[in-house]
Amino acid sequence: MSGRVLVAMSGGVDSSVAAALLVEQGYDVVGATMKTFCYSEKAGPSKTCCGLDGIMDAQRVARTLGIPHYVFDVEEAFTRDVIDDFVEEYANGRTPNPCVRCNSNTKFKDLLARGRALGCDGIASGHYVRIEHEAGASALFRGADHEKDQSYFLWGLPGDLLPLLQFPLGDLTKPEVRSCARELGLTTADKPESQEICFVPTGDYRDLLEKRLAPSHPALEPGPIVDLAGRMLGRHAGYAGYTVGQRKRLGGGFSEPMFVVAVRADTREVVVGPSEACFSAGVEVGELNWHGAAPEEGREIKVQIRYRAPPVSATIEACGESARLMFEEPQRAVTPGQSAAVYEGERLLGGGRILVSV
Amino acid sequence: MNPIYLDYAATTPVRDEVSEAMRPLLSDEFGNPSSRHRWGRAASARLEEARERSAAALGVSPPEVLFVRGGTESDNLAILGRAAVWSTRGDEPLVVVSAIEHKAVLEAAESVTGSGGKCVVVGVGRDGALDVDSLHTALQQQPAVVSMMWVNNEVGLMLPVTEVAEMAHDAGVVFHTDAVQAVGKVPVRLGETPIDLATVTGHKIYGPKGTGLLVVRHGTEVAPRMFGGGQEKSLRPGTEDVAGAVGMSVAVELATLEAEFEARRLTALRKQLEDSLVAELGSITIHGAEAKRAPHILSIGIPQADQEIVLAGLDLEGIAVSGGSACDSGAVAKSHVLLAMYGDDARGATVRFSLGRGTTSDDIHAAAAAAVTVVRRAEAAGSS
Repeated sequence: MSGRVLVAMSGGVDSSVAAALLVEQGYDVVGATMKTFCYSEKAGPSKTCCGLDGIMDAQRVARTLGIPHYVFDVEEAFTRDVIDDFVEEYANGRTPNPCVRCNSNTKFKDLLARGRALGCDGIASGHYVRIEHEAGASALFRGADHEKDQSYFLWGLPGDLLPLLQFPLGDLTKPEVRSCARELGLTTADKPESQEICFVPTGDYRDLLEKRLAPSHPALEPGPIVDLAGRMLGRHAGYAGYTVGQRKRLGGGFSEPMFVVAVRADTREVVVGPSEACFSAGVEVGELNWHGAAPEEGREIKVQIRYRAPPVSATIEACGESARLMFEEPQRAVTPGQSAAVYEGERLLGGGRILVSV
Repeated sequence: MNPIYLDYAATTPVRDEVSEAMRPLLSDEFGNPSSRHRWGRAASARLEEARERSAAALGVSPPEVLFVRGGTESDNLAILGRAAVWSTRGDEPLVVVSAIEHKAVLEAAESVTGSGGKCVVVGVGRDGALDVDSLHTALQQQPAVVSMMWVNNEVGLMLPVTEVAEMAHDAGVVFHTDAVQAVGKVPVRLGETPIDLATVTGHKIYGPKGTGLLVVRHGTEVAPRMFGGGQEKSLRPGTEDVAGAVGMSVAVELATLEAEFEARRLTALRKQLEDSLVAELGSITIHGAEAKRAPHILSIGIPQADQEIVLAGLDLEGIAVSGGSACDSGAVAKSHVLLAMYGDDARGATVRFSLGRGTTSDDIHAAAAAAVTVVRRAEAAGSS
């Protein structure tokens, strides 16, 4: 194989190995780290925000591999498209998935634009997902390591972008990637997994909301906890702290375990109910994106409504501006704002943002 | 791909004459100039020869040359050493600098405000004209020092240092110039102008990194900012870097000898680069086009392109240049020099080509062709 490939390097082990594999395969590899936000707001004569460890790690790996590496500042677009959306979704009583948003709207588009400008033939990342290129059509499949599979995050990728993508880790398992990194002597081989949302360093998204929403924003103000019949059961400290299916932070004194069934931003209500009230027969999905042709109504597919949730059988009942997917078995905690990724077997067809449970 | 180095304003390779001159001092002639035995005397002799050679090249007398460890140190000593003269007397120092100074001057000057002093930054127009009114006003307040660079490192702009030095002199004010980018490119005869303090570094003129000097003209008071020994008139205490001083003195001597020839050659090459870029990429801006510029620096603005992309693209094509000031991670910050000259008009990508001894007409031809490819591709990607 030949050609120039721009690979997104976060400084983590996965993208490091992805870059290394492309080098081994003979590509002219160029590394890129997207600087997505200012990591430290320390004031001073010279800002220290560029000293982030991830960038340093990526640079070190690039040096080991003998490839050029560049840092691209995408802070403005990332803040607008990902962080602002994240905050707005919580303010509207929904539970956003910023990684989906980033992959769909920011990361790959930005990478491709830069790749084109640098004369690259394709772009690559360290996602655990397989891609198959056939004449005229490319398709995404779950990564061979089902534990690590990240296809769920990629339903929003524009279809016309797929032919330019490469995912070198698609056929590998995480332990294989780590041992590959050790063999190559990459300093990132034993770096711990990053699980948190990258722009929420404290691990608690409410800290970010408090920083970015007005202090008296209703999402952060106390409000009523009500049952399904509208009876007030208690008070909550701000509905932005709740997501469908949650049991935490509801207080006690219920005759049976209670869970969040809905978050109503307009009335500030957090609606709770017993476990069975969290189940829905289907889901209404908007902001649809299909990698190929939209699936026809009546088609049986697999849908995944949360990262790491098992895919479940469903039927597409309507598919236009939005789609209605009816589950074979009722599903627990269908959460507005999260994603519904639609599969046929291992193949990712596309998906959408969850509007409401049906 | 044959890589082409066009970043001589960032640093230069050490020339053979310099490394030859330094070699004995890195082996047999290792003595400490402060020692009174024969090793010490030999080292001291080498150091003083280096001082004489540098002084002669710059047109000053040997005791006026103080060896320090680089341009930043020299700039800091000039600004902070002058401010300290005021502070020791119990006065609050005022420091006057131009808006396009190197950060070593600008940030040293700004730091004075942290200890009760004041700093006045004199604006510079895109034609290189100084804001003379504010300079006049500032001079009337008896500043501790006025500092204006001879040749700006980012744009190549030349400030009217002789005129400002005379103005300062008439007002009885000490004048410092950062001549780091001037030596070897323009005639620097310090004895003929009322310049009281001047900064030179070795590594921009084919000398070793970490070497520099501060010229302190006779009668100019500078208070020490480092303590611990009597070396370099107590202004730069610590055992002298004799090898560095010798290497630097050879570099200064050769640079000044060759300045006239090199200036003509580099001006022609820069013109060649400028002409082919303008012919192929009509929309670019030549920074400082209306101003007097040094021969070796060409800074262009490309309105429709992304800075990071253009720099990465040129690097991938093997062309080594630089943009604005880059921070440690490689992210690009907006240049304070272009902001001062152009304000908000400073948009798009900035590329600084800087030429040197190794640059040939073929290099310029290849670099221009690569730049055209990279910029066209970046513009196409940006508009799609």
